[in-house]
Amino acid sequence: MTLDAALQNDIVLTYLLIIATALGVAGLALAILTALGKNVGPIWRTYRGWLVMVPIVLAAVLLGRTAFIIGVALLAILGFKEYARATGLYEDWWMTGLVYLGIVLLATASHVQDPRLGHDGWYGLFMALPAYVIGAILLVPIFRNESKGQLQRIALAIVGFMYFGWMFSHLGFLANAQYAYGYILYLLFAVEINDVAAFTCGKICGKHKLRENISPKKTLEGAIGALVISLGLAWALSFSFPHFAWWEVLLAGLIVGIGGQLGDLVISYIKRDIGIKDMGALIKGHGGILDRVDSMIFVAPIFFHVVRWLHGLREVPVS
Amino acid sequence: MTEWEYHPAPDLDETLAEHLRNFPRQPYMLLFAIRSLAALLLRAWMRVYHRLSVDGRENLPSTGSFILVCNHTSHLDTLCMLCSVPLRQIHRVFPAAAADYFFSSLPRSAVSAILINALPFDRQVKGAESLTVCSELLRNDGNVLIIFPEGTRTTSGEMGRFRSGIGRLVAGTDLPVVPCHLAGGVRAWPKGKFLPRPRKLSLRIGAPRRYGNLDKSSDGVREVCADLHDAVSRLGSNSS
Repeated sequence: MTLDAALQNDIVLTYLLIIATALGVAGLALAILTALGKNVGPIWRTYRGWLVMVPIVLAAVLLGRTAFIIGVALLAILGFKEYARATGLYEDWWMTGLVYLGIVLLATASHVQDPRLGHDGWYGLFMALPAYVIGAILLVPIFRNESKGQLQRIALAIVGFMYFGWMFSHLGFLANAQYAYGYILYLLFAVEINDVAAFTCGKICGKHKLRENISPKKTLEGAIGALVISLGLAWALSFSFPHFAWWEVLLAGLIVGIGGQLGDLVISYIKRDIGIKDMGALIKGHGGILDRVDSMIFVAPIFFHVVRWLHGLREVPVS
Repeated sequence: MTEWEYHPAPDLDETLAEHLRNFPRQPYMLLFAIRSLAALLLRAWMRVYHRLSVDGRENLPSTGSFILVCNHTSHLDTLCMLCSVPLRQIHRVFPAAAADYFFSSLPRSAVSAILINALPFDRQVKGAESLTVCSELLRNDGNVLIIFPEGTRTTSGEMGRFRSGIGRLVAGTDLPVVPCHLAGGVRAWPKGKFLPRPRKLSLRIGAPRRYGNLDKSSDGVREVCADLHDAVSRLGSNSS
């Protein structure tokens, strides 16, 4: 992944065209609705949020492997920071410090060469890091010589590292794949469309609650609608992975359609348990960073391991 | 099983702009790490580029809260003052900064809040409220407030009159007020210039003064201002 390679890559150029068209059409539709006197103020705020986020994300992808891995690590750090602020873990500097360090090490493992195999991305270290980081977190109370309330802090820190750090960082490791552009751009685009589809389908035909004690506004119809659209989208975007068989394309759609909503529900029950509405207010019209990337956290590791198991990250013959 | 108790940060629902502007700030690890790194780089830059010399560090009180007052010649003044206190104290040092200038946009707010740890001081509408925030800050042990009593940077190089805020803050209290004088600021970064020049800067720190014997009447306030103005001027004339 380099800037030159990105600008000569048909998959990247196609996605740029699709994203620009999607944003243009959405903006036009909102402008028409506004002219018709419809109240679309909150959607405009969300749309403006997209106009800021999309160029930043695309820049990270276009600038190359290093920029993308750093970008994912920064998102993981900021996401964990939101989680630590929401749970109160932020007051424990040792625990949060170890998680931040763990995320930096994950990014390093994603970036450096494997010393035995000689290619980019040290997969063995990436997979082994949770054991070391969790071990280090478990040692903190021993060094502090404290026991009261330590289990809660340890549990919060481990969940924070594993979920927002390790699982999400799989997205960064994908930058080492031969089809990195296709995988990454597909995930970024399809996961967001899946979110929008779940919201829209739920609004239009939602009747039955999906999990009323976790997220009362999510509906079964919204979830099914999003799954169907994600399956269709995977087929429409199958140029992203030309080496996939038809059922593998279907699987990619399933991973996004189901994993995306599971990620959303995970953040929802975390927020509900804490008793907050949003994980933050960093992105106007969207909430916090975790409110935006929640779906990706579940999708990225599943997609990564399925792809790696089926094709490997590098062994795919160029078609 | 009993439920866990969570204690979300009080600023959880704040937007980035509010987060940067609101005071006091929460002690976030990332924020402290970035500020510490910035303080290290700042010290290196001031030492190399401006050959900053600091005399009288022994006058800084080693315990309790105190106020640093200095003549205001350029934006470098705050940076020099930050370099005068020990690095371990950097997160407890709060330069009072004009809210209408230093917190007027997101980038300025980010630099002021994250790197400088500035306290937004409303010098136009809510001056009294800002002074209350300063008083509360100084009530906690170990905090350092940096104030430029002239209220704005000089253009002529001459020190202007001290505004009454510092007098209202310290008259009748036992808070140590440390007078400082910075020489070279006008030449190093004149008002209106975009970037600083590599000119030498000298900071002199005087002995702390206390004004517990004065009351908060207008006479008391005036006396504080006159005494501090005199102390800062004398530090300047001694150095030249």
